[in-house]
Amino acid sequence: MATVVTPRGQEHVDRLERIWAPRPGLLGWLTTTDHKRIGILYFFTSLAFFGAGGVEALLIRTQLIGPNGHLLSPQAYDEVFTMHGITMIFLFVIPMTTGAFGNYLLPLMIGARDMAFPRMNALSYWVFLCSGIFMYAGLATGHAPNAGWFDYVPLASKTYDPGLNIDFYGFGLIFNGIASTAAAINFIVTIFKMRAPGMSLNRMPLFCYAFLAAAGALLFALPSLSLAALFLELDRQLGFQFFSSSRGGDALLWQNLFWIFGHPEVYIIILPAFGIATSIIPTFTHRRMVMYPLVALAEVMVAFLGFGVWAHHMFTVGLATITTVYFAGASLIIVIPSAIQIFSWIATILTGTPEFKTPLLFIVGFILYFILGGLSGITLAAIPFDQQVHDSYYVVAHFHFVIFGAAVYPILGGMYYWFPKLTGRMYNEWWGKASFWLTFIGTFVTFFPMHIVGIDGMPRRNYTYPADMGWTFLNMLESIGAYILTAGLVMIVVNLFVSYFRGPRAGNDPWEGDTLEWTTTSPPPPYNFPVIPTVTSPYALWDDKDREHDNRRLERGEGLLDAGHQTPASTVQDAELDEILSMPSYSAWPPITALTLSGLFAMLLLGHYFIAAGFVVLGLLALLAWHRNEADA
Amino acid sequence: MSATRIVRPRKSVPNGIWGMALFLCAEVSLFGLLIGTYFYLDFIARSWPPYGIKAPSVVLPLVATAVLLATLVPIRFASRAARADRRGAAITAIAIALVIQGCYLALQILLFAHDLNQFSPQRSAYGSIYFTLLAVHHAHVLLGILLDLALIWMLATRGLTEYWKVGVRVLALYWYVVGGVAVFVVLTQLAPSL
Repeated sequence: MATVVTPRGQEHVDRLERIWAPRPGLLGWLTTTDHKRIGILYFFTSLAFFGAGGVEALLIRTQLIGPNGHLLSPQAYDEVFTMHGITMIFLFVIPMTTGAFGNYLLPLMIGARDMAFPRMNALSYWVFLCSGIFMYAGLATGHAPNAGWFDYVPLASKTYDPGLNIDFYGFGLIFNGIASTAAAINFIVTIFKMRAPGMSLNRMPLFCYAFLAAAGALLFALPSLSLAALFLELDRQLGFQFFSSSRGGDALLWQNLFWIFGHPEVYIIILPAFGIATSIIPTFTHRRMVMYPLVALAEVMVAFLGFGVWAHHMFTVGLATITTVYFAGASLIIVIPSAIQIFSWIATILTGTPEFKTPLLFIVGFILYFILGGLSGITLAAIPFDQQVHDSYYVVAHFHFVIFGAAVYPILGGMYYWFPKLTGRMYNEWWGKASFWLTFIGTFVTFFPMHIVGIDGMPRRNYTYPADMGWTFLNMLESIGAYILTAGLVMIVVNLFVSYFRGPRAGNDPWEGDTLEWTTTSPPPPYNFPVIPTVTSPYALWDDKDREHDNRRLERGEGLLDAGHQTPASTVQDAELDEILSMPSYSAWPPITALTLSGLFAMLLLGHYFIAAGFVVLGLLALLAWHRNEADA
Repeated sequence: MSATRIVRPRKSVPNGIWGMALFLCAEVSLFGLLIGTYFYLDFIARSWPPYGIKAPSVVLPLVATAVLLATLVPIRFASRAARADRRGAAITAIAIALVIQGCYLALQILLFAHDLNQFSPQRSAYGSIYFTLLAVHHAHVLLGILLDLALIWMLATRGLTEYWKVGVRVLALYWYVVGGVAVFVVLTQLAPSL
């Protein structure tokens, strides 16, 4: 829907341009509080970590391409697969979904001009960046974490792992958790309070429900990880006894705490992917989602039920039968809300008029692989079967279909889908489709044979295997698949990179999309919307009358909020206009606070506790200075 | 985010309070897990506390907790005074709470040091969780005291702007929850003697 701007309207737009003009240059980026700029920073940072995690994956696959591989030493292999897991989960998928997609798109979708706490949003980014560098400093100095991403004790205790490796893990994850907690709080308040007047909860795009559910799960799950890491570091650095059975501690305490975080984490990873899928499907099938309320409820249910299934990671540790049966049952129940969504996606595609462009292809790929990963998940919920294939490549196959096939595919599809919005240019459709097929085939060839070698008994995390086990051919196939997959991913990046310079102009709304981000220009201006949009349904952009109404309001100068960096806040349920907020435009304190935190964690790592305390004081002073600026416009 | 212009009396809770409420959800989860860990280790132990460690003495920690809870009264008063635009009353109320909370923290640090002389966190899992639980709680009280100080300073130098009105309410919410958590922490700490 093209916006027709009259000269009167243009005057209003020019005024907003002046008020919201960003600071120029590098300083502008360092001190920015604009959710779109922060989203872009998140995007490129997590993409860089994706590259690092991808290189680690290729190292693993190259090592395993044939029997008795010796590209990596056993010690190096341990570090590489551990960093692969940590990177992909904590430094790629979470920051890419919540950080990049959520930050950039969520305020646009709900018709707001920024997040609820713009400076805290910047803090989340800088803390995330510093924590990523912190953990990679371990790899650079030869002390990368090396006990797997779930880092079981006693292997991870000081006795068996005396170096700094695990300390980089423990402190790195506490550090990273600060960023994620702040981001989760910010998302929830933004979704509850910052929606454009009229966007009551039942008119909110399903994308926002998915992010709300993911942020809620993140908020309640992270304390468990942080606490587990705190216990681990107290044990390792100060000789506490949480995990040593000789002194009354318990190694299973770690497993429980880790998975109380770790299983909701799986849904935290995949819920934003659901949200991206529910944005792309209506646009390319030209119809509303089937069963909107059920899908919204299912998204929240998934996050909620995800807290009750953690011990299905622990079926082989000797829990009481009654406990394992409970967790097996709970793991089966969680299929229901997932299936509701799958049926809704399929029904929407079948009953609509689907246009199989690249973004929708990735979503179809996502649905297929999510079903595949879901089915192997059901087999793993069966206790006797799980006990047979535990810690084998079957499990690796399962969670790669769920995490790569299901969580990353919508990210890739979303990159294509929103590329025209971010850059104002179209990507190349032919190369887009080619990259999909290459990625799709690569994924299947890499991960499917892992089911078979897993059932054949190949254990995960072994740095090599002998020639006479019958695993050689399938492993070679997996490694070839990994190279195909890499080629597909590189093709996506090259397509988008070239299109950024050469692609044809996209206009505001190349897809006839249904959500508010498509009403504004591509790329959106710093103030997002010249007038705060009118909303009367969950598919705001398909309500032509509302958009015409907005054009008239722009001309009259109604709803401009141009007395500074202003944005409306509304009531939680009905989204009635409640107050006009004045937002901060830039602040240097978030990156400074992140630096003091980096100093704190570095000193804790090295055991200089007094200097660490000094950094705490500096951090508190930075926070104080931060709050001396009451959101100056 | 200060509200520069209020359309009409606000209907919903301001963003700042939402932010603190959600932060406290995470903190309450943290304490829930700490207390859960305490009883997890308790249930697998043969004797709790282990042989050679005396069960904790009850009176002082309970009295201290009651004193901490009593400070919720001036905190509540400060919150109401701020909403009624009475800056002086708000500052005074926070200062009164601050003094009592400071005494509470000092007493708790003395008790903590006393316990450290009796048994060590490095010798048993009981000691580990006992001292960790208390230290995390005391850290929250310390943070609250620093928030008191920051608020008093800001109210004195900046005045009771809309931003800091919300700030006083946020502070009050923080103390209500820390006070509530203190009850569960002290009952857990004293569980072997109760």
